[in-house]
Amino acid sequence: MRNFLRFAVTVAGIGIAFISSDAAGQKPAVKADKKKPATAAAPAPIDVKPIVAKLKTGDEAQIKEGLDEARLAGPPGAAAAPVVAEVLTRGLSLPLTQAAIETLGDLESDAGSAALSQYTSHRNAKVRRAAVKALTRTKGAPASAALKRSLSDADAVVRGTAASGLGALKAKDSVPELFIALDHRVNEAAVSIGQLCTGDQCEQLAGKLGKIPFDVVTGGLDQVLFRPAAEVSDDVKVKIVGRIREQGTIEGNKFLKDVQKRAGAAALSARVKQAIDQAVAATAGGVQ
Amino acid sequence: MKSSFVLLAASLGLAFTVAACAGGDSTRPRTFSTDWLDDQGKSIAAVQARLKGAPAGATADLVVAVAGEKNDKLIGAPLTGGAKWTFQHALDARPMIVGSVVIASGANEIFALDATTGKRLWARPTGGLALLGAGDDGTLTAVTLSRGTGSVILVIGRDGAVKREIETDKQLGDPAVIGGVILVPWANQYVSAIDALTGDELGRVTLRDKVTRADQIGGAVYFGEVAMVRFDEKISMASQGGASRVAIPARELPGTPRLFAPGTEKLPPVANARDRDRLFARPSAPTGPLGIDSGRFYASYFRLVYGFESSRGQLAWVHTHASDVIGADAVQGGVLLCDEEGKMVVLDARTGQVSYEASFGEPIKSCVAHADTYKALPPPGGGLSLAQQIAEAVSSREATLATGQRLLLRELGTLEDEVATKTLVDLASDPRTAPVLVTDARAALATRRNGTTFMLSALGKHYDFLRDVLASPPVGPIADALAAMKEPKGAPLLASHLLDPAITDDDVRRAAAALAILATKEELPMLLHFFAMYRGTAESDEIGLAVASAAEAILRLDPKEGRALVEHAAKDPTTVAIARPRLEALLAATAAATKPAEPKK
Repeated sequence: MRNFLRFAVTVAGIGIAFISSDAAGQKPAVKADKKKPATAAAPAPIDVKPIVAKLKTGDEAQIKEGLDEARLAGPPGAAAAPVVAEVLTRGLSLPLTQAAIETLGDLESDAGSAALSQYTSHRNAKVRRAAVKALTRTKGAPASAALKRSLSDADAVVRGTAASGLGALKAKDSVPELFIALDHRVNEAAVSIGQLCTGDQCEQLAGKLGKIPFDVVTGGLDQVLFRPAAEVSDDVKVKIVGRIREQGTIEGNKFLKDVQKRAGAAALSARVKQAIDQAVAATAGGVQ
Repeated sequence: MKSSFVLLAASLGLAFTVAACAGGDSTRPRTFSTDWLDDQGKSIAAVQARLKGAPAGATADLVVAVAGEKNDKLIGAPLTGGAKWTFQHALDARPMIVGSVVIASGANEIFALDATTGKRLWARPTGGLALLGAGDDGTLTAVTLSRGTGSVILVIGRDGAVKREIETDKQLGDPAVIGGVILVPWANQYVSAIDALTGDELGRVTLRDKVTRADQIGGAVYFGEVAMVRFDEKISMASQGGASRVAIPARELPGTPRLFAPGTEKLPPVANARDRDRLFARPSAPTGPLGIDSGRFYASYFRLVYGFESSRGQLAWVHTHASDVIGADAVQGGVLLCDEEGKMVVLDARTGQVSYEASFGEPIKSCVAHADTYKALPPPGGGLSLAQQIAEAVSSREATLATGQRLLLRELGTLEDEVATKTLVDLASDPRTAPVLVTDARAALATRRNGTTFMLSALGKHYDFLRDVLASPPVGPIADALAAMKEPKGAPLLASHLLDPAITDDDVRRAAAALAILATKEELPMLLHFFAMYRGTAESDEIGLAVASAAEAILRLDPKEGRALVEHAAKDPTTVAIARPRLEALLAATAAATKPAEPKK
């Protein structure tokens, strides 16, 4: 059994591209919890020993029970994540594999990211979808790398989930890849680009207006307009409003009106608000 | 007597012979009689002896095309350098080049043109009967026409006068004429020698092959359809199989090509599908041992033209033409092709290289060629290898060519040339390749034993949606080949594909099987990863078998710790059913070793 566990650890730590050496399922979940903002009232960690005991039995029914309990615990049960990752890495039946992947997602511990990354290359698309979805919650370096790789997956759902996940993970270095994905009709990439782009990249996104569906591009531009000034300057936002205004379309007017409504509650500068107001007025008689 | 024949006879204004009623010398068969007993070649030997010194008649080296929007234009193009000519006339059958004349029919008449100038020599009404064949000895032209289930022979002089008309209820084929004697095949088995002026049957021979045609080629007459039997001093032994006979060897060919259209079949003026799928061969010489000219026979299949070695049928070359070949004929030293665009090309028999090109100057609908003395010039040299020619031929994505390309792929698989491997890899990797060709290419690739550079290069590619790589390489066949060649460089690449969900289950199985032979310690982590991920989640037998192959590699590379892993998996009920007994068998077959093993030699 000891040899077997050594192998499991080896598998978890193999040097393939998408697995980083510092995330081999060994980090305590509490460490991950400590990273959370102090403002969030993090629930107290629970005792995961009974869960871990069940997971280590090797018995299918017991493992299933342990996984169910871990899922019910959610992030407070994050301390169980390394063990869940370990049993997943060791290999399970297909139903247990999916359950373990979902459990790791629910535990939201980056200790699960390395194991989940492995399963983004599973032959079963449902398994890959579950793994990518879980990675958007566990986060960590292996998650970003795996999600970037999944942008090239043969399955459209995997690609879309990966694109959304990269935005959620704030993986700024993935923006060039997200642009390629957007050009390949991975529409979810637009929102993530809007969440992550630098000034030039945001303008590049606005440049997609008229080339790819309006709703897709504005899904990303909406994100840009409401990002803090420290991340995206007013100059860029005004330029983007101008690009939409130049379209002179009814859908542009509708979008700008929607932004105008929400602008009041958001911390947009007066200059940006003015640009939006003027654009709404200018596009009032827009073409279809 | 059928009414159409009465009409014809009346329109011709002549006395005719009803063949079955023709009497005469009792040693000769009655014309087209079916109560004739095989005379062991006596009568035909006498005819052959009589005609031995007869003038062969004029020769022709000419290509005639049907053109025009209404298919009513004939274009003659001499192969020996004379000026092209044209002749306008409605057409209802493919023209024929016989001796120094071109015979054609249309608008209820048959007509003859001078082969050199295209000038009309004569025309005769047909009463609507279909033109089947024609022969000419420089003085007389014999024309066979179809009449219901029977036939009519018209013998016409250069002045256009009908010298004799012979009616029969038998189905006649395409005739030849020598020294005033008509040699006409009939009933698929006989060739009768008919005196052109009297209509008497001078002799007859029974052939062992189906015979519907008598053609004059390069100074001799040949009977046949599926083979060619020369009319020479051995013709008397034809019924015993002793005649001078040549046929092309049996082999796989694209489609169902035929060497000759049956002489009993009226060919339409416009080429049809059967004209795009043909065989061509030319007898070697009018005297001496009979063989196939230049040791080559040819097949056309739409845009593809194949040259085969004539003794065993091996593919010698393939030519990819720019457009469909709709007419062709074997010439001395090569094969002449006509295409839809109106181009004429002569290919060298030995290499398939173009040795002559010309044009009719406009698109054409069909073409016929006749070359008595024309000889293909040797090409300049430096042509493509057979593998390169096949690579070019199979690169076309036209669905109509798939059958012809499949044949080429099978040929390609037998060539030692590394270009063959590259072509197979490219075809099997290209998503635009027709599925049947992918299957063939993969099968051939698995048997290759060279071209590893191309195989390894292909394995370096993976499916990548964002980079528009939308097809995986043929991992399985390459794995088979690399394993058979014990190519260690293949191991890391195959291992990377083991974890690629874009390849097929079959490819995974074959990659894993190859890694059981080729993997080194470097690939061990990948194998462990694969083994763990799929031992409980394999959804197909192929992946289950791949798990077992991965276990085999793991046991070889790390006998001690690998054994613990495999033992656990073999006992674990979550391990898929197809893998467990195989894991147990592996464990039973391998003793726990302490030292890592080297890759199998």
